[in-house]
Amino acid sequence: MGGSLIRVAGLRYVAGGRVILDGLDLAIEKNDFLLIIGQNGAGKSSLLRILSGILPVSQGEVLVEGKSIAHYSRRELAKRISYLPQSDEFTLPILVKDILLAGRYPYRSLFGKLGRHDLDLLEEGVERFRLGSLLTRNMQTLSGGERKKVLLATSFIQDVPVILLDEPVNFLDPGSAVQLLQMLRELHENGRTILLVSHEIERFFSASTKILALKGGKNRYFGTKVFSPSLLQDVFQVNFERLRRGDKEIIYLNE
Amino acid sequence: MSRKLLILCLVAAFLLVLVPFLGIIPVGWADVLRESPGHFIFWSLRVPRTLVGFIAGASLALAGLVCQNVFKNDLATPDLLGISSGAAAGTVIALKFKLRLAVLGMSGLHVFSFAGALSAVLLIFFIVRVVKNVSLYTFLMCGIAINFFFSSVIVFFQYVFDYADTFSLLRWMMGGIANAGYREAALLLVLLLLFLLFILFFAREFQMLSAGDEFAAGRGLNVGRFRAFSFLVLAFFIGAVVSVCGPIGFIALVVPHVSRLWGGNRFQATVAITFLLGGCLLVSADLLARSLVPPLDIPVGIVTSMFGAPFFLLLLLAQLRKAG
Repeated sequence: MGGSLIRVAGLRYVAGGRVILDGLDLAIEKNDFLLIIGQNGAGKSSLLRILSGILPVSQGEVLVEGKSIAHYSRRELAKRISYLPQSDEFTLPILVKDILLAGRYPYRSLFGKLGRHDLDLLEEGVERFRLGSLLTRNMQTLSGGERKKVLLATSFIQDVPVILLDEPVNFLDPGSAVQLLQMLRELHENGRTILLVSHEIERFFSASTKILALKGGKNRYFGTKVFSPSLLQDVFQVNFERLRRGDKEIIYLNE
Repeated sequence: MSRKLLILCLVAAFLLVLVPFLGIIPVGWADVLRESPGHFIFWSLRVPRTLVGFIAGASLALAGLVCQNVFKNDLATPDLLGISSGAAAGTVIALKFKLRLAVLGMSGLHVFSFAGALSAVLLIFFIVRVVKNVSLYTFLMCGIAINFFFSSVIVFFQYVFDYADTFSLLRWMMGGIANAGYREAALLLVLLLLFLLFILFFAREFQMLSAGDEFAAGRGLNVGRFRAFSFLVLAFFIGAVVSVCGPIGFIALVVPHVSRLWGGNRFQATVAITFLLGGCLLVSADLLARSLVPPLDIPVGIVTSMFGAPFFLLLLLAQLRKAG
């Protein structure tokens, strides 16, 4: 397992005297689609923030491509991992194009001149995510779905192997959520590794390949995707059930 | 967009040329070249005053823009946050104690003004760190507290130490550019151009920061380090401007708002418009200040506050309504 893309060993994270993450061991391989589940406050978002280098490791080790995450500069890490935070509140106006170009920031030269490659990736991202009509719009005036689409496109333009997403479909209407999931599937098929935190297990279960279930900062399950009502019962105290319809697998909450 | 910029350039040029001719004592075209009382008024009083006005206006407006982007809030400006009053308190202390400590070519006033601004910045920094919250509420409360504190420091030193120069101090406190000369104009101009370079060089960083800390960090910006660096530059710059002009309010708040609108939210255009509009606005306000109640020469800070405060209130109402 030494060759894992991201290796987490004995990770502990303590903030304000509270243990947020307690002894996590994970091995994330190339092209995994990891769905991270758990109740509010289980440490899901903190884990993503640690993997993106925003929060420090209190104890234990996080290795990215074999090197300790603490030894990466912010910029070098951003060439490998792209993090999309849960909140996308824009308190100041900013153009969609400037958000997208921020994806090229880790590769910038001293005077920030954009090269051919940067512009090609921008163009490809705009085309793939169909953002042509939004480029000169202010992020603040976009709908929630459009905003998430722009942010995901930014990660694409950032051209990294690993994308971390925190609740990407929160507050999205069903149509936008389906579109976003489709885009995530495409990125996954193109070889990207995706780590996604969401409460919408029903939505992301079929796309994911691995599952991490957290409870009180502890690992309840980590491994290949399996549907386990007892695990979900343990983590959420509610009953999930599964339906098979043709080759489709539907998970739902049985109240 | 570029047409607005062109018009602003013309307005700026027009103001810079015309304003020195206007005032209680008339100055004609002939006085510009010929030795006369008008000649003295024109070249020794009004031209440097207009220049300083323009430069200070542009400086305050740009400082406001940077401060807003770094704090991701368009009500977070140096005057509302109390950075300016920190600088003012520093200057007052230096004036009162006749401290002439010059460091690396900075005048004693500037050193203390910088120290005052820096202490306000550190205080805000500390508060934001502790509460981990950069909401509108945090900023307004911080600003009120810091402003109160430094105002009391200023009043304390004015009251306890001799009354003789209290009036001139009070005038300076109201923000004025009446006594500025070419020396101040040159100093501020150099700093302004350096600050402009700083903004343009780090344009991408400022844009990313305005989109949120985590967004910027996720794209590879070392947010903490960059923010600390920006604040250091900002405090130094505000210190210089305030030590010359006193704390002139509301330019930093009003101008970036308008320029974002006019610049179509394009950063470079917004910076250019902020520069020109800030200059034009302060020169116009100063013209108004010295012609409103002739022959009195009202400190320009009174005029900017008179017009700026209602604008601030409107913005605040809009934001609170959006939030609530």
